[in-house]
Amino acid sequence: MIEIKNLTKKFGRITAVDNLSFSVNDGEIVGFLGPNGAGKSTTMNMMTGFISSTEGTVIIDGYDILEEPEKAKRRIGYLPETPPVYGDMTVTEYLEFVCDLKKVKKSERGTMIGDILDSVRLSDVKNRIIKNLSKGYRQRVGLAQALIGYPGTLILDEPTVGLDPGQVLEMREVIRELGKKHTVILSSHILQEVSAVCDRIIIINNGRIVTSGSTEGLSDKIVGNRVMLQLKASASEAQKAFGGLECIRSLTVTKKSDCLELVAEGREGEDIRESLSRLCMEKGFVILLMKPVDMSLEDIFISVINGSVDEALINESEETAETAESETTESETAEEVSEDGADTEEAYEDDGNI
Amino acid sequence: MTAIYKKEIRTYFNTLAGYIFLGFFVAITGIYFMINNMNTGDLNYASTLAGSLMLFWILIPVLTMRLFAEESRQKTDQLLFTSPVSVWGIVLGKFFAAATLFLTGVIITGIFPFILSRFGSIAAARTMNVMFGYVILGCALIAVGIFISALTDNQIVAAVATFAALFMLFMIDGFTAQMPVSAASSLVFVLILIVIGALILAGETKRIVLPGAAAIAAGAAAVVVYKLNPSAYDGLISRFFGWFSMISRFENFYAGVFSLADTVYYISFAFVFVYLTVNVIEKRRWS
Repeated sequence: MIEIKNLTKKFGRITAVDNLSFSVNDGEIVGFLGPNGAGKSTTMNMMTGFISSTEGTVIIDGYDILEEPEKAKRRIGYLPETPPVYGDMTVTEYLEFVCDLKKVKKSERGTMIGDILDSVRLSDVKNRIIKNLSKGYRQRVGLAQALIGYPGTLILDEPTVGLDPGQVLEMREVIRELGKKHTVILSSHILQEVSAVCDRIIIINNGRIVTSGSTEGLSDKIVGNRVMLQLKASASEAQKAFGGLECIRSLTVTKKSDCLELVAEGREGEDIRESLSRLCMEKGFVILLMKPVDMSLEDIFISVINGSVDEALINESEETAETAESETTESETAEEVSEDGADTEEAYEDDGNI
Repeated sequence: MTAIYKKEIRTYFNTLAGYIFLGFFVAITGIYFMINNMNTGDLNYASTLAGSLMLFWILIPVLTMRLFAEESRQKTDQLLFTSPVSVWGIVLGKFFAAATLFLTGVIITGIFPFILSRFGSIAAARTMNVMFGYVILGCALIAVGIFISALTDNQIVAAVATFAALFMLFMIDGFTAQMPVSAASSLVFVLILIVIGALILAGETKRIVLPGAAAIAAGAAAVVVYKLNPSAYDGLISRFFGWFSMISRFENFYAGVFSLADTVYYISFAFVFVYLTVNVIEKRRWS
């Protein structure tokens, strides 16, 4: 059980984390979702006692991380963004050192290290020197380190960043497996990742919680009700025909060299694919491509602000009201997305996994 | 603490640092031994140790530059400071690891007095005494090196800064001889120290009134003492800097005197720098 109350971190004048409160129950897998610089790593660093909070408390299984650090730290395993490994040690040497550090009993070490190496699939490289391992393996060594001593809670900061698509899938599989025995809190800037692994999602931006809720609750409502279509049709005709559809909430039409591209967003909870297809048949448009479009984080923020996400899921209505003032149209967002480096990376990773 | 200690010892020998240190240490001390003892037929091993003190400028940075700088650069400090180990345990573990390696070097070079004893009778107690002084002086300087390593995440910067700091500590006697000795200049010096102290206090507490008032009170007290008894200020500057002179403290050991005061001085010097290291790390985490 982890309780976080009014957690705030200020670096000089910059507020990195602003009055964050949430709790995580035993056995849950919670995803921390937010764009780069949202305050995810800072929050995790405070939760693990690496840095102190300016205000607020972090309580791990009843122990305050700043008041009783040793007891609290014994209950968490932490994988920071950069795996904290020593390049000049072998994998086994390193894990033995971590056992020393976490005061694991000598008699339990051998089997513990063996089991952990198996569970994160590292047994093949256990005698290799860490600096010679690939990024994916190093990430797994970092995860193995977090598992030493079998802490009740695992805190994983962007565990799949920098891995190739195959390794990403493997890492998710490992995390899901770990979630059966541990409470897991992981951070990510990729929506698909947290929705694939987590029971519950907390979305943060600019150091504040934007919204939180169960994965089903969030993803049913905000994922997959947008469809991209490529048609052979004239722009004006298509605009007119699709504009008349009741079930569509918004529509963008762009002209491509050989076709017309439409992105249609359906109303909440409606599957618009059928009506779109029927309309095309009626009007005689040729469908070249039709695929669901996943929402990017920016889209989610906008839909939260526009109120398409259920009110019950919104924790901080104040926040919503504040940001709603800066109105952004759909097409502008699309441009922003393609410019943003982080999102290009995101797109690449998604493609790899489909 | 033992976990960190074991790891540091292993790292010294996994990387080249440990071998470089020991090899260099034994080789240079050996050369001094040849020049001072073997070639001249002098049976006093203390002169070799005293002569080779300058070796510390190079060798202490080799021992300490990596200790904290490398942890922050590789981000392994995130592992250390999120483990159930206190910051004191971490700093002391590293300090004792560096001290152990240094002691190993001294023990290896302990063969030299044995060689000397083959050629005549050496003053065993005096040799032991000077070696003891040599070891605790080295440990005090190691603490300085660790402190500097905790200030940066760049090993080279840590090495150069440690070199500069040790150089100053060794050269301080030469500087103090040049300092003004009059009571008036000492008063100015004391006032400057008070202002610096007040500025540091104000910077730390982000308050102005209290440090300011304290500084004015202390300044007034200093002036009153000056009016009543100016002789108290004579040579104060050189006495102040002389307090930091590590080398002059070694002279007693060299002369064959076991000085408890100097032993306590070296040990407290090491303790103060270990304490400062812990504070620097804690402060960084709390800022």
